[in-house]
Amino acid sequence: MTRQTSGARNAQPNRRGDGDLLGTNSEIGRKLKQYYDELVSDDVPDRFAQLLSQLEEAEPAQQKD
Amino acid sequence: MAATSGFKADLLAAIPGLRAFAMSLSQNADRADDLVQETLVKAWDKQASFQPGTNLKAWLFTILRNEFYSQMRKRGREVQDSDGIMTARLAVHPSQPGRLDLEDFRKALEQLPEDQREAIILIGASGFSYEEAAEICGCAVGTIKSRVSRARNRLQEILDISGEADYGPDAIAAQVMGSTVG
Repeated sequence: MTRQTSGARNAQPNRRGDGDLLGTNSEIGRKLKQYYDELVSDDVPDRFAQLLSQLEEAEPAQQKD
Repeated sequence: MAATSGFKADLLAAIPGLRAFAMSLSQNADRADDLVQETLVKAWDKQASFQPGTNLKAWLFTILRNEFYSQMRKRGREVQDSDGIMTARLAVHPSQPGRLDLEDFRKALEQLPEDQREAIILIGASGFSYEEAAEICGCAVGTIKSRVSRARNRLQEILDISGEADYGPDAIAAQVMGSTVG
């Protein structure tokens, strides 16, 4: 979604203050995001949802009233 | 209760980011998923200590990071710190000039000391501010800045990207081998 076509010069400088060191226009900055986005979009194994369901059954949260 | 499933839903939504961070730290898919699992269990146990309205993602990343380092210590593995190592760096030459392959980048990232790698990931990829990253890593903002800066410089060195200067692998190879080019 937030994919930026390479070469697109971003007018918005640094949303989070990372621009001074890792500009979105820098090769390192772009590769870093590409590397990470690929990891984030990886399919999540079911075991994690199962784990959370087990935790929820074992110990219903929000014990403080 | 409704509040419970809310927390659960928030944790579920955080999993892709947690896995990406865990992969970046451990560089190993199995260890990464173990880290995420531990993080979810710990987060569930500690949920009463989470302040609603504060940054859940940062809270979870902090738990995951602590888990990563404590596992490393259990393994008896010395935690790398940036000073003093990596003096001998291996250059990764882009397979195509001018085009940095993602695989090359991954290899370069692997060569960074953990503290630098986590800093550059948190700031450059996970979307945290310097302040948040400092809190996650339990250090000063200035420390994060310097780690990010060193990480970036190191990556540029390893990958032969040096600002505007457009020397390719050949120039470096010539230097290293002391060849009689030119």
